[in-house]
Amino acid sequence: MVLIITISCERNRLDPFKEDPEESFINGDGVFIVNEGNFTWGNGSLSFYSYDSSKMFNDVFMEINERPLGDVPNSMTIYNDYAYIVVNNSGKVEVVKKNSLESVTTIPGLISPRNIAVINDLKAYVTSLYSDSVRILDLKKNTVSGYINIRRTSESIIVSGNKAFVSCWYGGNEVMVINTDSDEVIDSVEVGKEPESMVIDKKYRLWVLCNGGWARENYAKLIGISTRTHEIIKTFTFPSKLDSPSGLTINGTADTLFFIEKGVRTMNIDALSLPSESWIDNKGRFFYKIAVNPVNGDIFVTDAADYQQKGFVYIYNNKGDSLAAYQAGIIPGSMCFKVQPPAVIE
Amino acid sequence: MVRFSFKECSIKNLLVSGFLLAAIPAMGQSLLHSDTIRIKEVVIISRPVSAILPGFSSSEIDTILLETLNPQSISELLSSGSHLFIKSYGPGGSATPSIRGTAASHTQVSWNGIDISNPMLGQTDFSLINPGMADNIGVYYGGSSSTAGTGSIGGLISLVNNPEWQYGVMAALNPAMGSFGELSSSAKVQAGNERFLSVTKASFYKAENDYPYLNKAATSEPMRETRTHSQFSRKDILQEFYLRSNQHKLSGRIWYQSSDRNLPGSMLMQPQNALETQFDESVRSMISYDAESGRCSYYIKGAWINDRLEYKNPLASINSVNLSNSFTLAAGIENKIARGIALRLLFNEELNLINSVNYENNVAGNNASLTLITEKRAGSRLGASMLLRETMDNNKILIPDFSAGLEYRVLKGEDHFVRTGIARSSRIPSMNERYWYPGGNSNLRNEYAYMFDIGYRIEHDLSSSVRITSEVGFYHNLIRDMIQWHPGEFTFWTADNIKKVNTSGFESDVSFKYSDNLLKVVLRASYSFTKAITAGDEPAAGNQLVYIPENQADGSLYSEYRNFYSFLITSFTGRRYITQDNSDYLDGYSVSTLIIGAKLPVRNNHFDLNFRIENILNADYQALAFYPQPGRSYHISLLLKLNKIVK
Repeated sequence: MVLIITISCERNRLDPFKEDPEESFINGDGVFIVNEGNFTWGNGSLSFYSYDSSKMFNDVFMEINERPLGDVPNSMTIYNDYAYIVVNNSGKVEVVKKNSLESVTTIPGLISPRNIAVINDLKAYVTSLYSDSVRILDLKKNTVSGYINIRRTSESIIVSGNKAFVSCWYGGNEVMVINTDSDEVIDSVEVGKEPESMVIDKKYRLWVLCNGGWARENYAKLIGISTRTHEIIKTFTFPSKLDSPSGLTINGTADTLFFIEKGVRTMNIDALSLPSESWIDNKGRFFYKIAVNPVNGDIFVTDAADYQQKGFVYIYNNKGDSLAAYQAGIIPGSMCFKVQPPAVIE
Repeated sequence: MVRFSFKECSIKNLLVSGFLLAAIPAMGQSLLHSDTIRIKEVVIISRPVSAILPGFSSSEIDTILLETLNPQSISELLSSGSHLFIKSYGPGGSATPSIRGTAASHTQVSWNGIDISNPMLGQTDFSLINPGMADNIGVYYGGSSSTAGTGSIGGLISLVNNPEWQYGVMAALNPAMGSFGELSSSAKVQAGNERFLSVTKASFYKAENDYPYLNKAATSEPMRETRTHSQFSRKDILQEFYLRSNQHKLSGRIWYQSSDRNLPGSMLMQPQNALETQFDESVRSMISYDAESGRCSYYIKGAWINDRLEYKNPLASINSVNLSNSFTLAAGIENKIARGIALRLLFNEELNLINSVNYENNVAGNNASLTLITEKRAGSRLGASMLLRETMDNNKILIPDFSAGLEYRVLKGEDHFVRTGIARSSRIPSMNERYWYPGGNSNLRNEYAYMFDIGYRIEHDLSSSVRITSEVGFYHNLIRDMIQWHPGEFTFWTADNIKKVNTSGFESDVSFKYSDNLLKVVLRASYSFTKAITAGDEPAAGNQLVYIPENQADGSLYSEYRNFYSFLITSFTGRRYITQDNSDYLDGYSVSTLIIGAKLPVRNNHFDLNFRIENILNADYQALAFYPQPGRSYHISLLLKLNKIVK
């Protein structure tokens, strides 16, 4: 399958800005790109890169549901047959069918939601940029069923076993640990300034990327935490206060980390130091978000351009070779793969 | 009396307008504006070649529109009575102008010659400006605003207070109410004699703005919703004092204004708002002295303006308090060096002090300018002007601005004019652009533009009761070093001089006026085409700028028979692109307002009952994407005006 995907990519590599909304894209594998749009302008959108056709389809939510997605869609998660799109400044989660994008319902009433983590068939957690609690969604009724007061704002969320790890990004420096059975905070771990993104590697280590805050008064840090004991195992401090890394992600085998810092940098989970150079040079572009295909290792990097024009998505293979580039929507941000990943935790 | 400040320049414009409207002594609703008694002043004025800087385009807001529409904000007024495009978030929401395709910061607003734009923002929220506080409002396009100083690349809106010396004592009250919880009242009291005058104006306005609208954006099926969290209230108090003798005039004015409003969210927000609120408060004061001696006349004026803006967003724990104090000293001298030729020298000094939670420290900005103007005006077929201004921005001397204009009476004795002008104008960066933390850039250069104008104007009497005026004009502006916020090296945006914009367009106006003893009719129409494109080599180069309509038109028909009058106003705003690649846009819209009224003059007193229906066709439209505008609404107001005329 990886081979087929790679061949498909090859077919259209000559035309980097393919955009053909007429063709069907729905049933194949691919990746959704959440285009944030400009704050309060309501021009956020959803794009889909189809591995089957090697084409980018833009504004797909609008085309199918005949209404805009909302103001500043921030993230998307697929669970079973459904996809959940978190729309930040519209205070809602759009629930759509994974294979058709047809709207199922809208879950409103959320305060500046950012990311969603599905706990099980029954519930999900939604983080919030401004609220001091994590909202609980009832996935059967598609309603807000409760909240967990963490007394801090929340950003990234990741689930391991019966624990959810929540980073307190907006002015914070902690990772909260929530027991997903009892919906209670059971621990917190002090990390660096503004923990922005997190992943879990194959050794059950939670990697937390702290960008140091926008004022550049603190050093950025990459911190490894045991998901079992919540102890900090490793701390890598970036060499300059001017370093502002973001978008930590991990490959499908959960052994290689990727993040953005003046280009794409990568490091093995057992590396002894931070990478000192870019693995993929940004060449003056505004690399904004990064995602790695869990199946074939393709690396997708978004370019927000000037944050006003439509941005781009660049695709690289797992060796860092450029494969293709496509125009997406305004401020293309987080990405969500519509592929079946293999089990990665050993 | 010859004067040189903007205020006084506008007096001439007023007189010209008064002359044009002499046949139509329209008496409307607004108590805060003068009525037709000023005709006497008009007849002593000969036909000048031009009002403000020959060669450029300017206009006074139609007296009928100003007095009959009873607008609650200058944005309402200018949406109908000018070539401006107003980008509005809806009633009570902030509203910013665009003149000739330029940015909001390129339109300067002056009050009796003093810039009242917020120094932090470098622009004015037009929803806060109550036109009732001014007696005359002028719109000066492009180079015609050069005398106002820096900043007016697009143009200038000039608010002027003119005392009505002919009334010794006057009292007026104008209560009004309307749909969506609108309630307003204004009052004016004037007392004095031929040497001293005190004028007091007060106004209160509030609206719930809880209007229904169709939300086609939030769900698959359009939903009927009601606007919430959009209450707006505003208070204005203006006190004016005037003391005059044959050759001297001393005036003092103080204008207090405050507004409190809830800021509704877009249609895409669920819930619709983040409970954002904004409180604005301004105290504007000035004192000016005018004198005349032989062929020379002088003025000096000082002003202090205090602005407070508090924005709160409890959801995001934002409590943004911003205070500014602006001190202005302006002086000028004019010397008539020959018949019809005058030389003017103007000095302007402005100091801005800012205290904001959004800046690292309290900051100060100072700029001073010296302007030399030579002007040839009345009594000839040829009018000409030349202006040269040197500006010092803090300690930095800028490249001089200039303008040069020509106006020529094509047919001797007839009011047929051809005009052309060229100007360079610059804008000093706003305090936010320089000092906002983070992202402000203290190394910004001033923006500048080269502006070209050409036009033709006709004013023609078909008979003693019919007058036609018409003007067509073309312009082309090259705006360079435009400041744009863009993502910086870190996680915040920064301001830089990176944008180039070219604007060009066509403007036309025509009016037909008929008047006899019983019937008065005024038919007016205007159209403008605006092409505003990004220049340079960026991806959007060649595309129309967002929220700049290419096509705008408006028309109005005023008719008055005996004591009854009606006024129909229609304005059309064309498609506006909302993405830089022009792939998405808002549809054009047309909105009409109908006013009918009856007035009862009793000796020198005046009573006027006025009904107004806005958006009579109940158009569903948005000036800004996903911010709905109200549908049809109904308003009623009553004007009671008691006058005592002095000799």
